[in-house]
Amino acid sequence: MAFADAEVSRRRTVLASLRLSVLQFMADPQWLIPSMIAPVVFGLVSFEMFRNAAGQDYLIYAILGAGMMSMWGQTLYGSGWATGQDRVFGTLEPTIQAPTPYLYVILGRVLWNVVSGLVGGLIVYVVVVVAAGTFPSVPNPLGFAVLFVFVMLTLAAVGVVFAAFYVYTRYAGFIQNVGEFAFYVGTGCMFPVVILPFFAWPASLFFPPTWALDALRYLAIPGYQGFGWGFGWDLVGAIGTTAVYLAIAGSVFHRVERHVLEEGNLSDY
Amino acid sequence: MTPPTPAIEAYGVSRVFDSRKGFLFREVTHTEALRGVDLVVERGAIFGLLGPNGAGKTTLTKIFSTLLLPTAGTARVLGHDVSTETAWLRPRIGLVLGGERGLYNRISGRENLRYFADLYGVPLGDRERRIDEVLERVDLVWAADRRVEEYSRGMKQKLHLARGILHRPEVLFLDEPTIGLDPKSARETRKLVRSLVGDGVTIFLTTHYMFEAEELCPEIAILSKGRIVARDSIDGLQRLVGGDRTLEAEAYGFDDREIETLRRLPGVSKVLSEEFGPSLRLTMRVRTAETTPADVAQALAGHPELSVRERRTSLEDVYLDLVEEEAR
Repeated sequence: MAFADAEVSRRRTVLASLRLSVLQFMADPQWLIPSMIAPVVFGLVSFEMFRNAAGQDYLIYAILGAGMMSMWGQTLYGSGWATGQDRVFGTLEPTIQAPTPYLYVILGRVLWNVVSGLVGGLIVYVVVVVAAGTFPSVPNPLGFAVLFVFVMLTLAAVGVVFAAFYVYTRYAGFIQNVGEFAFYVGTGCMFPVVILPFFAWPASLFFPPTWALDALRYLAIPGYQGFGWGFGWDLVGAIGTTAVYLAIAGSVFHRVERHVLEEGNLSDY
Repeated sequence: MTPPTPAIEAYGVSRVFDSRKGFLFREVTHTEALRGVDLVVERGAIFGLLGPNGAGKTTLTKIFSTLLLPTAGTARVLGHDVSTETAWLRPRIGLVLGGERGLYNRISGRENLRYFADLYGVPLGDRERRIDEVLERVDLVWAADRRVEEYSRGMKQKLHLARGILHRPEVLFLDEPTIGLDPKSARETRKLVRSLVGDGVTIFLTTHYMFEAEELCPEIAILSKGRIVARDSIDGLQRLVGGDRTLEAEAYGFDDREIETLRRLPGVSKVLSEEFGPSLRLTMRVRTAETTPADVAQALAGHPELSVRERRTSLEDVYLDLVEEEAR
C-alpha cells in the first residue's frame, strides 16, 4: 500500500465545508424556520412598523430593517454556531486533526451562510413588495445590490472571528447570547446608529457592518445623513475594518488551535 | 546504512490537566494524567497499550496524534515532533477514537467519508474508489448511503475505522477499536487490523480486552496512573510477574502457615489470595515445572473441599498483578 499520497488543498477544504453545510441544511427541517419562515415574519412586521411613517422611502426602511434582521444572525453567528455543533457532535477533534487549518472549514461555512442570508434578504424584499403592492424606489439599484452583498461579507468577517471563540471555549454560546442584542442594535441593523446616544458610536464603529450599513442607507435613501461624513468614508471604513477583522481571524485561528491543544478541551461540550 | 527512525517515540512525556470551577473565586484542580512516559515503538508493528480507566491511554494517544500537547517531555511520530511539526504529520497519521460521537449524524456514512477525504487530501480522482474500498474493508457497503443516525453503535465504530484508514496513514492510532462491537464484527475488525500491518502500517492500539491484545500485539505496555509499569512481549510479561504457569487452590479458608508453606515450594514466585464466593482462592505464579498441582494438594491437605487446578498465566493475570502492584 502506498502511504500518504495526500493532496491537501485549502480550496478543496472550503468547498467540502460548503458542501457539508448544504447537506446538513437539506437534511434538517429545523433550518426552514430561520431561513424561510423568519424572513416572511420579519418582512411583514417591519412593513407594519414603517407603513405609517412619513415619506416615500418607508419601503426601503422596511426592507433594510427586516432584511438585515433575517440575515445578520444567520451570517454572523451561523459559522460559530456550526463550530459549537462540532463540539457537541464530537467532530471538532477529527476536523482539527485533519491536515488543513480549521479556518478554511469555517470559510466554507461562511460562504453558505452568506448565500442563505441573501436568500433570506430576497424573501424579505418579495414579502414587503407584495404587502405594499408597489416596488420601492432605489436611485442606484445595481450599487444597492452590490453593497447589499458587501454588507453580508462584513457580517461574515465578524462571524469568522466569533467562530474562533467557539473553538476556544465551550462557553462561546453564552458569550454570544449576552452580546447578541447589543451587537444587533449597535451595528444599526434595524435603524441607523446615529439615532443612538453619541457615546454608543465609538463602540459601534469597531464593527464593519456599522460602516457598511450606513453606506447602504446613503445609497438607498435620498437625503440620508447618517454619521455625516458621507458615503465614501463609510465605504473606506467598511473595507478597512473588514480587512482588519479578516487579518485578526487569520492570526487568531492559529493561536486558538494551539491553545486548545494546550488546554485539551476539544472534546468538551 | 542508518536504521529507520522508530514509528513512535516518547521521552519523559507528562501531561497535566487543569480543571476550573467557580466564577468569582476560581478553584483550579490539577490532574496528572501522564507522568514521565518513555516509549519507543518500531515501524510496522502492532503495539498494544493496556491500562485501567483513567490510566492515561487516551491522553497518550491524543498526544501522539497531535490533538494534545504534552506538558513536559518530547513525543515524536515518524521522527517528527508532535508539538511543532503537525502540518507534516497529520496527513501521515490516522486516529480512531470511536464511540457514539465524532460523526455527522444527519448525513450518510458515505458523505461523512467524502467530507473527511477532502479534508485529509485523498487524491480527488481516487476519492470514490478509496471510499468504496474502505467501506468494503469494514463491511459497511450495504449501509453506506443511510444516515449515520440510523447506524447501530457497532456500525458507527466501523465508520470511524473507515475514516481512520481512508487517507492511508503510515501510523494508525486505535483507541479501543472493538468497544461496542458484537463478537463477529470485533473479530472482523481484528482481522482488518492484522491486514493493515501486512500493508506496512504501524498500529498503536489501546484496549481493555486482554484476549485482543494477546491475539494482536507482539509487544505490550501496561499503563497505570500515568506511568508505564511494564513493557515487553507476552512471554516477557509473564516472566515479569513470576512465571507462565498459574496454580489455583480453592477451599473454605486457609491459614497463614499454609500460605507460607506454598510460598516455599520450588519455583513459586508469588501467592495471591482472594475471596471467591464463600471460599478463598489462592493463586500461585510458578516459574518452573517442579511444583505440580499434587504438591499443592499435599501442602494443603486437610481441606475436604480442596480443589487445585493448573492453567497458563494469562495476560489478564499479568495485567491485574502489575496494576494492583502499582496501586499498592
